[in-house]
Amino acid sequence: MTTVETAPETRRAWLPWVGVFARLLVGGVWIAAGLLKIPDPAENVRAVRAYRLLPEAVVPTLGHSLPFVELLLGLCLVIGLLVRVNAVLSCLLLVAFVVGIASAWARGLQIECGCFGGGGGSAANAAEKYPWEIARDFGLLLSSAWLVWRPRSPWALDNRVLPE
Amino acid sequence: MTKKQSRATKQAHAQRAAERAAAIRAESERKERRRRTIVVTAVVIGVLTLVVAIATIVQSGRDTTGESATPPAGVVDTYGLPRGSDGAPVTVEIYEDFMCPFCGDLEAAATDMLVGYVDAGDVQVQYKMLSFLDRASDGSDYSTRAMNAVGVVLDTAGPEAAVRLHDLLYENQPAEGTPGLDDDQLVALAVEAGADEEQVRGPIEDRAFEVWVKNATDQANQDGATSTPYVVVNDEPLDQVPTEQLVADLEAAIEAAKAE
Repeated sequence: MTTVETAPETRRAWLPWVGVFARLLVGGVWIAAGLLKIPDPAENVRAVRAYRLLPEAVVPTLGHSLPFVELLLGLCLVIGLLVRVNAVLSCLLLVAFVVGIASAWARGLQIECGCFGGGGGSAANAAEKYPWEIARDFGLLLSSAWLVWRPRSPWALDNRVLPE
Repeated sequence: MTKKQSRATKQAHAQRAAERAAAIRAESERKERRRRTIVVTAVVIGVLTLVVAIATIVQSGRDTTGESATPPAGVVDTYGLPRGSDGAPVTVEIYEDFMCPFCGDLEAAATDMLVGYVDAGDVQVQYKMLSFLDRASDGSDYSTRAMNAVGVVLDTAGPEAAVRLHDLLYENQPAEGTPGLDDDQLVALAVEAGADEEQVRGPIEDRAFEVWVKNATDQANQDGATSTPYVVVNDEPLDQVPTEQLVADLEAAIEAAKAE
């Protein structure tokens, strides 16, 4: 926080709002991703399996739990609760997703991302979609990383429950 | 002079004492805040973990995949609709969804060729149907309803009628994203295929084989059919290529398997 204090007045004014923007962006995407997956648990399991990266023993548990992890993570970021912890989790998940998509791409699998529901099935021109999916996740990863670095921002519950 | 000095010294002493007190207070406040941060963080993480655990249990309860289901009488390998005799030397497994347009293309392009091999006794085709495109029928779960109807006809009227219904469903394939044929139309096609309306209407409308359909979809996914059509000749999967090439590859693979 010392950098903020030595920064000129103009920088101080907008800097905290970057955090608000990042929270709403990343949090909003996680909420959407979670909500869209919850209606069809069987499909989530197939989507996870389609990447052929994980042993069958953990595939159903991950398919069933991931939508709720995403939803809660998104809600916490939007309301600003434990922003740093949640931003770290967000980074870890996004890195895992980028690795999954990149490896599916590298192995020539033609699968749906399953990022926002769906998945477990074929995707016409999957190879054309992979780079965009990776770029999107990378952007979200950068936003999450910002929140790990600067977790404090206005309009956050953290300011109430964990005052500095 | 000395008085002034001593006053100044006193003041300095008092100030230092106050600073020390303030420092101690600040230190204890810092510790208190730190303790609070740890407690709040731990509680919140605990609650979130609990919520995720409960939600996961609820979700796996809602996921009926893997529940035991009686398959229709007459299936091969639990989920296969057979075309041709069990003794045929070459097995062609075709994983397909009734809503999948490329499956429809394959059916239109390959069925005559396959029927030739089937009639010669060289090939048994096993249609491994799945329902992963349920979401592409505007909420009507067309893939599940169509596959269930085939299961019902297989169960009540045997494989030949079920294969006829399978072919009819591809000849009348709805466009992806539309609700597809309704239950009455499915019953009509089932009757056209040779089933008895009284026997099939109830189980078609009630989706009697819904869990079997769900398990078949999960098994297909485990078998590697993450996109359809997925064709396997004597346990060797074919590359997923455009339809014309796929039909040529399929014929070549059958010839190769026959020669073995």
